[in-house]
Amino acid sequence: MSTPTLGLDCDVIVVGGGPAGSCAALVAARAGLDVVLIERGPFPGSKNMYGGVVYPRILDSLIPEWWLEAPIQRWVTRRSTMLLTDTQAMTVDFRSEAWGRPPYNGATAFRPDWDFWLAGHAEAAGAQILTSTTVTGLIRDASGAVVGVHTDRPDGDLRARVVIACDGVNSFLAKEAGLYTHTDAKHFTLGVKETLALPEEVIDERFNVRDRQGVDIEILGGTSGVNGGGFIYTNLDTLAVGVVLKLPALAAQKARPEDIIATLKAHPAIAPLVQGAELKEYSAHVIPEAGLEMMPKMTMPGMLVAGDAAALCLAAGIWLEGVNFAMASGMYAGEAVIEAIKAGDLGSKGLAGYERRLRDTFVLRDHRKLRRAPKLVLSDRVQHLYPAMVANTVERMFRVDNPAPKPGVRRILREERKRAGVKLSDLARDGWNGFRSFG
Amino acid sequence: MTIGSIVACLKWVAHPGEPNDERFAGMSPADQSALEFALQQGAAMGVGVVAVTVGPAGAERVLRDALACGVARAVRIHSARPMQSDDVAAAIAAVIPDATWVWCGDYSLDRGSGSVPAFLAGRLAAQQALGIISVSRSADGVIEATRRLDGGRRELLSVAAPAVVSVEGATAHLRRAGLAALRAAGKAPIEVVQSSTPAAPYDAVVHPYRPRARALAAPAGDAALDRLRALTDAGAAVSARGEQVTLEPAAAAAKIVDALKSWGYLA
Repeated sequence: MSTPTLGLDCDVIVVGGGPAGSCAALVAARAGLDVVLIERGPFPGSKNMYGGVVYPRILDSLIPEWWLEAPIQRWVTRRSTMLLTDTQAMTVDFRSEAWGRPPYNGATAFRPDWDFWLAGHAEAAGAQILTSTTVTGLIRDASGAVVGVHTDRPDGDLRARVVIACDGVNSFLAKEAGLYTHTDAKHFTLGVKETLALPEEVIDERFNVRDRQGVDIEILGGTSGVNGGGFIYTNLDTLAVGVVLKLPALAAQKARPEDIIATLKAHPAIAPLVQGAELKEYSAHVIPEAGLEMMPKMTMPGMLVAGDAAALCLAAGIWLEGVNFAMASGMYAGEAVIEAIKAGDLGSKGLAGYERRLRDTFVLRDHRKLRRAPKLVLSDRVQHLYPAMVANTVERMFRVDNPAPKPGVRRILREERKRAGVKLSDLARDGWNGFRSFG
Repeated sequence: MTIGSIVACLKWVAHPGEPNDERFAGMSPADQSALEFALQQGAAMGVGVVAVTVGPAGAERVLRDALACGVARAVRIHSARPMQSDDVAAAIAAVIPDATWVWCGDYSLDRGSGSVPAFLAGRLAAQQALGIISVSRSADGVIEATRRLDGGRRELLSVAAPAVVSVEGATAHLRRAGLAALRAAGKAPIEVVQSSTPAAPYDAVVHPYRPRARALAAPAGDAALDRLRALTDAGAAVSARGEQVTLEPAAAAAKIVDALKSWGYLA
């Protein structure tokens, strides 16, 4: 472990013991730096929640064969995209046995377990974890560079060469540092989730899985008219059932999230899946969903920002990912800090390696590629018009109206488009945007 | 080993609701109070406080918490397996024979029999003050302590050293550790000594005694407050039940047992 420069308490302060913070601390500590990870909860993960699926491939380089020890609930082998109207449901379902064996793909996990496990690796690498400690502000030198943090503990100032802010969505540190030029409620969604207990064998039976295989169902519609989406994830003996709601739409509609979940659970396509389940937990969290449109400046002299604090959450319809972006950005922040300390330059130029890594990898490449997706997915047409149009079209395609002959699909589409009130020009525009985003 | 005169006996306990999850383990509220009283006394007397625990290496976390709060030394008496209360007391007594003030939590969250302080006082031939809910120090070093009794009554004690004082939880709010101390505590050395008493096989789970539920008539009174008072005797002058006697310990114990039987607490 290195000896910090005179007047400094350590080399690196990482704020926040989530996936980004732990990966940053792990990488920096493995390089021999004196790292302090500050977590406001009593243990890493105690304050964190998400929907429930993690894609840990990025960990391959950090923790080889992580799947042998990671606290996984179920390995996701079925991914379904469900489209709901009040009385209809259409599901595209995919299943792969390959996702149920190493090196796996996605998995359901509880954040208090996952984050605690990951922080344990950082600690084992030499990072010191200070829990129940809240960072209350930044310490700056005369030039404005960040040189440490204030905390809520007695004599609570801590000075370091560099601070990595992984303090989550609504990052107070990134805002205090001026890295966010503006914030807007339309950039955020509210994720709310019920954890419902069912016996493991009941979940296996209802979701057609076995041997810790799991299911990820993403839902368009079913949110009581509030722009957003729903989800159902299978844990070992619980289900995560929830909705993600666009904040301004939720406020305008004066709807209560728990009522929206209740309505979703009562849907004919969902009710049989959750019947008899016992509510164990209700939780909520704000999600940064606007992608590139809301991202802050990633560095300033003496400080980097990673994870949700940097709005690195991908919400692009069929892709809803956050933890992998957090882990990757934390990892790259750690690497950039090592590079900058070696070069003796912790200014913007010295820390530029962080943004370069983000740009050159999936972290920003996926966001750039899918930059139109969040707005498209949460648009009124996709949310309120297209589900009915598609569901009615499919219903008519499969309905047998003998003695009338089967109508042509083009005719059904034309009639249902008109019935849904969708202009052809809007449909073409959205289709083109969708193609450019997802194509 | 010479141990300082003020000792805080602490225990790292699993949370009763999550007995197998180390994330929820910690120091019992009563131990937190004991540590705070010990630190206050140490500051007043200008003496460093020594924190002692009995257990495996994982139990050192309670000592690191104590170090962060300001104890001068931390000693872990190694025991790889659970021990009976008397064995715990014997092991502690063996390393603190000259302690003048020993602070304990009244009972821990996990087993909560509250017997270690009593055994410890016996082993050290020290006075014991148990169930303490407030403490003040007089000029001559004697502790003025208030003890909780049944029926909302209080007993005022003057306790002179050497003494084992066990305090209830929430009677003192443990100070918040400073950041520098917290960091230093993570790397501070902890003295480890082997237990002087072999751990007898002990796998039983002991819970504090709880009297059986008894059917009670509905309380009298028109107002809710009256009914509450009737239920709890709060605010009422309760006539003393029992008698004050002076007996040798064995005879006193027998008399207490007889009284408990006559009141229906013991079969």
